[in-house]
Amino acid sequence: MNMKLDDLRQGLAGVWDSVTEGWHRLRASAADALTAFRPSERNPLPQAGEVDDADYLPAARWAMLAGNVFEDERDIVVRLEIPGMEKEDFRIEVEDGLLTVSGEKRFERERGEGRYRVFECAYGAFHRSVPLPASVDAARGRARYRNGILRIDLPKRIPSRPKGTSIRIG
Amino acid sequence: MTSNDIAKQESARGETAAMLPPVDVVEDDSGITLYADLPGVPKDKLNVRVEADALTIEAEVSLPLAQGMEASYAEVQLPRYRRTFTLGQELDSDKAVAEFRNGVLRLHIPKAAHARPRRIEVQVG
Repeated sequence: MNMKLDDLRQGLAGVWDSVTEGWHRLRASAADALTAFRPSERNPLPQAGEVDDADYLPAARWAMLAGNVFEDERDIVVRLEIPGMEKEDFRIEVEDGLLTVSGEKRFERERGEGRYRVFECAYGAFHRSVPLPASVDAARGRARYRNGILRIDLPKRIPSRPKGTSIRIG
Repeated sequence: MTSNDIAKQESARGETAAMLPPVDVVEDDSGITLYADLPGVPKDKLNVRVEADALTIEAEVSLPLAQGMEASYAEVQLPRYRRTFTLGQELDSDKAVAEFRNGVLRLHIPKAAHARPRRIEVQVG
């Protein structure tokens, strides 16, 4: 019986390790995605009485704003999931190896005078910074907004070639 | 039956792992309007259907990227969204209208005529 208990303990330790490892990985990969959306005066959220959720407050909300960074030898491509935006409402900046995307997701007030049975989406001003894995030429960057995804293509800055002199064998 | 067959059956029933999209649901006298955030879904990969009183939203994320690109940082997500809602009897899903723009689905389902509050004109004789 003692051996069985030992086996069990080892088995449990294995499960526990993989659970905590998975959690760490999730936290490491999702921590940056958690983004605050702040309502503003010109973009107010429904009042507490208009929403069927006792815990609802028309204050800042947190939402996942998932991002992905891809690269090859020439370009860095950053994709951010931000549905429901108008492309003119984005502000994209690159400074000190950091790409910052900010904007305001508008809450359309003409959604009617009804009651909110469910209110989960986030609205308001947000900003998200993504560290870039290499130096880029931001002036040649391009951005597109399609299907709720902002894609930014940034060409890498090619380090100026060391001026070597080749010596020919005569 | 091999495990492969089971996997095929599961995918045929759409039982693969999927993300729950966040939604807003507003109800007024005319019906309900549902908004769902579905970033990355092209129009042809969005499937909204009503069976009996169950409304199901299912969508596939498409990730077009140049070949040979390597992910140096990724907040990995599942490539699929799915969420099911139960509709009240008073809704007329045959008259539902859907729009999809910038990754946001807007679905309006009107209330059946008999369920709408009626305004009765009072005439003073």
